[in-house]
Amino acid sequence: MRIDRIRLLVQALCFVFLIYGGLLGLSIGTAIPTMSCIYAEGRGGSCFLYPFQRFLSLPWSSLFGSVAAAFLIYLGTFFIWALVFGKTFCGWICPLGFLQDLLTKIREAMGIDGSRFAWATRDRFQWVKYALLVLLILLPMGIGNSLLGLPRFTPDLAVPFCQICPGKPFIPLFYGDTSHILIDFSSLTKIIMTSLSMLIAGLFLAAGFVKRRYLCAFCPMAALLSLFDRIGFVGLRKKGEACTRCGNCFRACPMEIREIADLRDRKHMVTQDCMLCLRCIEVCPEDKALQATLLGFPVFSASAEGFLKRQARTAVLPESGNKSVKNADPGTIPSEH
Amino acid sequence: MKQTGIQKLIRIREKMITGKKGDTPHPLNPADADTEARVARRLSLHLAMSVREIFDAISLEKNRPASMAPFDAVFRNFADAPDQILPATGRKKIGIYCMAVPEELIYAAGALPVRLCAGSSDAAEAGEALFPDVSCPMVKAATGFTRTGVLSMYRDCDLVIIPTTCDWKVKLGELLSRHVPVMMLSVPKLKAAESSRRFWYAEIRRLVQALEKVTGKRITRKRLRTAMGLLHEAQQEFRIFQTLRMDDLCLIRGRDAAAVANAWFYMDAADWTHAARTLNEELKERKAQSLATTPPSAPRILLTGSPVVFPNWKIPDLIENAGGALVCDELCSSGRLLWDMACIDEPLFEDMLDALADRAVLPCTCPVFTDTEDRRTKLFRMIQDYKVEGVVHHVLKGCHPYDMELRPLEAKLAAAGVSQLKIETDYSPEDTEPLRTRVEAFVETLKGRRLRMGKSA
Repeated sequence: MRIDRIRLLVQALCFVFLIYGGLLGLSIGTAIPTMSCIYAEGRGGSCFLYPFQRFLSLPWSSLFGSVAAAFLIYLGTFFIWALVFGKTFCGWICPLGFLQDLLTKIREAMGIDGSRFAWATRDRFQWVKYALLVLLILLPMGIGNSLLGLPRFTPDLAVPFCQICPGKPFIPLFYGDTSHILIDFSSLTKIIMTSLSMLIAGLFLAAGFVKRRYLCAFCPMAALLSLFDRIGFVGLRKKGEACTRCGNCFRACPMEIREIADLRDRKHMVTQDCMLCLRCIEVCPEDKALQATLLGFPVFSASAEGFLKRQARTAVLPESGNKSVKNADPGTIPSEH
Repeated sequence: MKQTGIQKLIRIREKMITGKKGDTPHPLNPADADTEARVARRLSLHLAMSVREIFDAISLEKNRPASMAPFDAVFRNFADAPDQILPATGRKKIGIYCMAVPEELIYAAGALPVRLCAGSSDAAEAGEALFPDVSCPMVKAATGFTRTGVLSMYRDCDLVIIPTTCDWKVKLGELLSRHVPVMMLSVPKLKAAESSRRFWYAEIRRLVQALEKVTGKRITRKRLRTAMGLLHEAQQEFRIFQTLRMDDLCLIRGRDAAAVANAWFYMDAADWTHAARTLNEELKERKAQSLATTPPSAPRILLTGSPVVFPNWKIPDLIENAGGALVCDELCSSGRLLWDMACIDEPLFEDMLDALADRAVLPCTCPVFTDTEDRRTKLFRMIQDYKVEGVVHHVLKGCHPYDMELRPLEAKLAAAGVSQLKIETDYSPEDTEPLRTRVEAFVETLKGRRLRMGKSA
């Protein structure tokens, strides 16, 4: 089975669990490094970023005083999740990633050609996710405290990232809750934030029909998780001397990571945008040029044999061995009708 | 009155048409036409002689895999029945001049690709008059065949596609277009730049349109998938074949291995795959029986550089007759031919075209590209995989890209302790004897080196 089919299945299961798991009383906590939205009532685990921003908006006296222990335990939980699963959260678990992949599948089924970032564009906007990360830390801090003598920010800015995250309008929809699709006119801040939210939500839908995983290129959670790229349990290794730079992996990569094909001298290939979908390994025809590792041990390796076996399932082969076809004119491709 | 006038006009028109038909690209001067005919006769005679010579020598060899027969049959036709080299088919024939043309597209358009890169020294002679002194013999030979029409396939093609890989190919189009319809395909020389890739993607789409126009068939996603599947089957056999050659035993002569790949030029993909599968089965049996073509003492040699095309078996024969084992080659005419594979499972038709475009250029180790690192990496990897002891660089006189790349490459290989021999030659058999001395000395050096290293078998 193609790895992105397996992946879609896993994503679907994770989606159901994360969105509806709470209805069965299941929960895996509130420090999950994935966009499992807090606004879904019966969720089975929720996004790390919401409580994180809440913690940060406390006055420093209590953040580093009475709730310091709770905050540390909370960060520690996140740390363990991120260390063990790392970027597999992006590729295999994230509900927003799943929705984007679904949109892509619909687009492909409709035969709409996809688009790619120009290389320069993609390179130019790589800082955005880090900027968002810094903002989602600084803005809440400025609510509970005065930063550099500035007046404290309005509480309307609370959990700023959640206010613009596309999870907020879309994920509650799975409970029939449309209350987050609105522009709130109660204050200027709210007008700006909700307008932004609607804009991003629109982009999310539209981009789904243009390009794979469009918004993931700007996700601050990916920025956070990429801190664990080198030390995480799951790895992606490249054997440069086996690579022919044929570009199969680059074309297959939903995140359009050029390094995977172009760099020969780098061993660890989990780059800042990588979501460990492992599609690159699947389409690599050179033995052991790419390997997925768990705790350093290879679990899935590229091979010519595996490549051909998987590809043969997609190929529409003329019935080989069928004598009448062979004698007629071997290799002729039967016309479609 | 009016009627006779019209009839007159019709008669004049008919005359013009018939006159035009007789006016083939040949020169009108009867003396020139005579020379042309003489050149053609001589080429046809000499070609047949050199082909028979090759097969006479082969018939004396022992221990040759019997499954070489279908491949031999193709090459024997060069002498016996030049118009039967290609399979009998009602399909259109598309001539191609380089690996840079994705053959999948031609199969998907319902046509038969024929790689026209030529290796005959007699044909090179026949084409020589049109070229400067130091020119690529491959291009000369191709022009010779096309000009004289001795091998009908050079004239029968419904379209000849020439990628602008090297300067010779750039100018070849104009020479050939007197005889056959030619389409030039512009190949970018800088693989790493985005602009090159986009440009090449656009060229591939231009090729698709041209093929559709010539064959009158649309290349659809389904047809392309079928064609790509067809090539993958061939590539699977090719990879198995190459993997068998990595074995410690030398299961097949390097010349025969080159012939197997070379036969791909003229055979239908399905036929070739079938023949290659039979050969692979036989080689596996030979492996089980430890049946080798060369003694284990023969040093393992890699051949790289300019293409080696039938009937130019000069270099492979020199190496193997000197006691070397030609275990692999990094040539666009054989070892590289079917190695790199494109993805079939791209979701959309446009993506599949991009996949084919990338496959044709990105992993290609031809020195016409600026990225020389790819070839170096490939060579080092092959040296390791095939347990190579010596490298022979084959430079055809006039093949400047390989010549230019050689010095830095030699330095890198020498730094890694690889023994090398550079052979600069062309298709003509004149320098065979001096070359034999050099190749023999090289093989002896390798043998001596193995003794010193204590790896004697």
